[in-house]
Amino acid sequence: MSKYFAVKTTANQERVVANLMEMTVKKYRLGVYSVLAPRELKGYVIVEAEKMEDLLTAIRGLPHVKGVVKGETALAEIEHFLAPRKAAEQIKEGFKVEIVSGPFKGELAVVKRVDEAKNEITVELIEAVVPIPVTVKADHVRIVDKSEEV
Amino acid sequence: MTELACRKCKFINIDSTVCKNCGSTELTREWYGYLIIIDPEKSEVAKKLGIKIPGKYALKVG
Ligand SMILES: [Zn+2]
Repeated sequence: MSKYFAVKTTANQERVVANLMEMTVKKYRLGVYSVLAPRELKGYVIVEAEKMEDLLTAIRGLPHVKGVVKGETALAEIEHFLAPRKAAEQIKEGFKVEIVSGPFKGELAVVKRVDEAKNEITVELIEAVVPIPVTVKADHVRIVDKSEEV
Repeated sequence: MTELACRKCKFINIDSTVCKNCGSTELTREWYGYLIIIDPEKSEVAKKLGIKIPGKYALKVG
């Protein structure tokens, strides 16, 4: 079972610390499995380790390390940093997309509406004689053109 | 040195136009957050994200 610790670093040196830790961990074969530096967490890195001692060995003497936050954090507490970005957040109205799944697979379409909460988009098929709005999952399209022309 | 993250697998590629992890050519400069997977076998974070290869990854790709 992994344990999670927060290490305090100098602001804007989070990545440097993570890289240095990786080198130490490899060199001494320590039980540190991953290091996270989320953008939202300035001045900290989150370390996934087997136990506290491995973490302490990994950071010993490293520049830009200011200390370890007391106590463990849980995977549940850091999970939101790992949440993959929804496909709909990357699509805007006017984008030209290709539908890659479902009954309209292979059709080109123009995006008319984006529903980020549902991760759905409403499109109009380019080849259709009568433009009928079709709502599809944002994951089911591939962006062809981002020029946003309608 | 240009660090581009892969839109498909989030692997951070240095000075490359093709992802060294998955072969995709959809690389971007717009990425946020930083993740180093050292031991994908033991890392719960790696399992959660489906990462099987050690390396540096973006947490979010724009
Ligand atoms: Zn890739």
